[in-house]
Amino acid sequence: MTEAAWAELSNALFWPVTFLLYLAAMLTYFYATAFTRVPRGDQRDDRAGRRAVMGATTLAVVGATTHLGHIVTRSLASGGRVPWGNMFEFSSVIGFLVVVAALVVFQWRMHRVEVVAFLMFAAVLSMGAAAVLWTDPGPLMPILNSHWLKIHVFTIMLGFSVFLVGVTMNALHLLRDTAEQRVAAGQALGGPGRSLGAAHVADLGGGAAVDALDDLGGIGDRSLPDVAWDGLADTVDATATSTQEPAAADGGSADEAGEADEAAEADAASVYAAALKATVSRAEVALWSGGIGLLAGAALLPRGARVTLGTALIAVLGGLAARAAVGRLPNASTLDSMAYRTIAFGFPIWTFAVMAGAVWAEQSWGRYWGWDPKETSAFLTWVAYAIYLHARATRATQGRGAAKLGMVAFGVLWFTYFAVNLWVTGLHSYAGL
Amino acid sequence: MTRTDSAAPIEANPTVPRPPGPGGADPLAVIGELALFAWGWLRRMRSALYLLACLAVLTLAATIVPQQPNVAATVAAWRAGAEGPGTAVARALDAMGLFDVYGSPLFLVLLVLLFTSLTGCLIPRYRAWWRLVRRSQPPRTNNLAGHDHLARITTSLDTGRSEQAVNQVLTRRRWRLRPQDGRAPRQLAAERGLALREGASLLFHTSFYVLLVGILVGQLLGFQGQVGIVEGERWAETGIGYWSARPGRWFQDQDHRGFLIDVDQFHVDWYRDPALGGTPRLFSTDVTITRPDGTAFSDTIGGNDPLVVDGMKIHLLDWGYAPRVQIEVAGTLAWDGFVTMSPAGRGFFQGAAKAPGPDPDVGLQLTLIPTASDAADPSTWTGAPWADAPLLTWLTYRGDLGLDVSQNVNVLDRTDLVEQGAGLARVGGEFTDGDVTVRFVELRRWVGLQVSHRPTAPLLLAGGLLLLLGLVPALYAFRRRVWIEFEGTDAGTAITIAGRTFQRPHAFHLEFDALVSALAEQLPEAGIQRLTARPPDAQPPQKVPTP
Repeated sequence: MTEAAWAELSNALFWPVTFLLYLAAMLTYFYATAFTRVPRGDQRDDRAGRRAVMGATTLAVVGATTHLGHIVTRSLASGGRVPWGNMFEFSSVIGFLVVVAALVVFQWRMHRVEVVAFLMFAAVLSMGAAAVLWTDPGPLMPILNSHWLKIHVFTIMLGFSVFLVGVTMNALHLLRDTAEQRVAAGQALGGPGRSLGAAHVADLGGGAAVDALDDLGGIGDRSLPDVAWDGLADTVDATATSTQEPAAADGGSADEAGEADEAAEADAASVYAAALKATVSRAEVALWSGGIGLLAGAALLPRGARVTLGTALIAVLGGLAARAAVGRLPNASTLDSMAYRTIAFGFPIWTFAVMAGAVWAEQSWGRYWGWDPKETSAFLTWVAYAIYLHARATRATQGRGAAKLGMVAFGVLWFTYFAVNLWVTGLHSYAGL
Repeated sequence: MTRTDSAAPIEANPTVPRPPGPGGADPLAVIGELALFAWGWLRRMRSALYLLACLAVLTLAATIVPQQPNVAATVAAWRAGAEGPGTAVARALDAMGLFDVYGSPLFLVLLVLLFTSLTGCLIPRYRAWWRLVRRSQPPRTNNLAGHDHLARITTSLDTGRSEQAVNQVLTRRRWRLRPQDGRAPRQLAAERGLALREGASLLFHTSFYVLLVGILVGQLLGFQGQVGIVEGERWAETGIGYWSARPGRWFQDQDHRGFLIDVDQFHVDWYRDPALGGTPRLFSTDVTITRPDGTAFSDTIGGNDPLVVDGMKIHLLDWGYAPRVQIEVAGTLAWDGFVTMSPAGRGFFQGAAKAPGPDPDVGLQLTLIPTASDAADPSTWTGAPWADAPLLTWLTYRGDLGLDVSQNVNVLDRTDLVEQGAGLARVGGEFTDGDVTVRFVELRRWVGLQVSHRPTAPLLLAGGLLLLLGLVPALYAFRRRVWIEFEGTDAGTAITIAGRTFQRPHAFHLEFDALVSALAEQLPEAGIQRLTARPPDAQPPQKVPTP
């Protein structure tokens, strides 16, 4: 096949094939989330949900496959170079990596379909950004022709994808935590400032105690595990030789609970989920997510005001979806822990990527560091995530404080990527579009 | 049992008490007190966070505001109000030194504070870590059943032999065991991970000193200079040969290597397909290097492919057209040479020729259009950078060139010059205007080379590797403890195992399970009871990802 034919195939695979598949997968995941049993496991009602998850997974897997096809054919259409030479390709590969992470880590290993829905949302956003930055396949400048292009740019993309997953967790954590705190305050069972609202709404539906967890505030990375109620029964089953001894503090374990209790628990959980949702109003969520979306879209302003407003609108839709699902999200401390683990995974990658960039710069531009705008802002991103990690090791800024810092850090990364490429001229600008 | 809020030992976060001063009268005492207060403040984690935030703000400014060392022209435009937010803002930015953030005193102060803070935090941590490695013992627990992880194993062995077996397993798995002191109840206490996590964190933070030393010494000992050489010409690497040079303070003139560079052939080409917009595809130059001892060799310098000669690295960074121009005034040859022209916009190259011989001086402001098929019709000037139909145009100036002060060879200082006319010529052509004849003899190219010497590059690389080497275990190693008690029963021994972790509950959950299973394997007729009250977030638990 000629390069032109590969290019045509590659373009078609990106749009409409992959884009629409991702979009459909995302919507199906949201639909599935709506039917997934609420915490505490009402097993009888989730058959529709399970079928929807299977459908969504199929769509996502097929989408990821066609996406991989797009990436490979794009490389063939550009004379066999690595398919991450400009902003379009970069954004597209990031979308792909996020989808892979969502499927492999969050769905198949952690079984967190409700989180996968939002990761698909993040991936679709990245694909949208790619579409806005569309560039036809073509060769690269000879200065980019280096092994370091593979190493530096790939690790930067990997770091970006991991941080994109991290900020999704940060945002969901902030929303869920707000709801939990408000429910807790409303129930007057826990003091203000407690971050584990769920722990303080015991006996919502009678009998089904939501375990009285310790306040986790004090410990570095949470010495207490995050609790997922629907995991309890599985845990017991999984250790075949063991028997579950009900701990004294627990209201009752899954083994003990009879069918009636299970129903009551499910009711209690539904009531709790509804209470969570009721505490955050649509207007409030729309305002916050719209504001954040507007800021994010401002980085894309050189591509037109419509793009900026569109970003804000999509952010509002995402925010509203998150609000609708807030009762089904993992609890706040779990989301916090997921965010931390994701960012702690991304930080060494980013560190390595920046260093690889310095090595490449020494080889290519004759100096390892020159405070070029891109270098400066990559360093800024590094500092921002270093602050997040330090903050999370300090008692005072755990939980919400850290989540906000995580959002700011990603804002810096977003700015580094889009705004610096589109607004500021520097040595990296040829790689821009 | 007390809970610690971070992996760092308690000594790492000291609150330094202020010594009671003898009263406000003695200025020395006040200064001392202030210094102690500042030292105490700097040693707090929070202060480090604030300092990092300041660094972030400065860096943000450096990203948005054009920086003098990088884009001097844009800075000048901002200052003049031609670009950017206006002269008032530019003046404010100037006052804060934000046009050169990394050369500003503010940044220097911040750097000093950051490293002081780092030192203040690290010294007690080194000490504590050394103590820990040498002497620390895992503490006993008084409340075995109160821990997050709990399991019980029954075995037919007696207590003594069970303890021996458990001891073996723990030692093999490299747990640090508390020596027995005969206190009752008899308890095995073991710990892992603290030394590694804390040690790695120390290594990570220490690597910043290595990087700092590498950068500072590198600036003192290093050298960097730029020069443009016309194709076919020869250039000698000496202190005075460079267009611009930045020698470090400790870099002496005799440190120059003195080799000769002949630029044999320069290669540059583009994809000439309009759809690809003239993307460059070739950029390299063939050179011959002749060392002072007479040995010579030829090599190619490319975009990502610098050449190292006697510890000096030669990069190809730049290029431009170099027309050979002759200026005749009233029939006498006043100037003959190559004008090194630099790109100035899409498909234009600019430069200057300065002929101080005649009276008054002659200066030419030259523009080269590489592809202008019809000189009279600018619509045929495609903006393409390849020289298919080069056209040289110029403005002629007479007056005082001002060559008594050093100036940029490529820019005409027009303060004392008067414009006299304009002209244009093709290769081999000439143009006469009044008594000035300008001849466009031939067109060559020049290459911009950078010669640099960075003796601390290996040190910097080592610093970077140390940083990564420390970072990963600092994030992933984790501190955890187990306690084991043995109780004799009719059938043998009942062993209770309790565990707690300070970080990474998910990973510890798996490890605890694995440890209990491994213990049971070493004990005959073992029965396991897992009493872990709080399984971490996972379903099923063996599928917890440990990133």
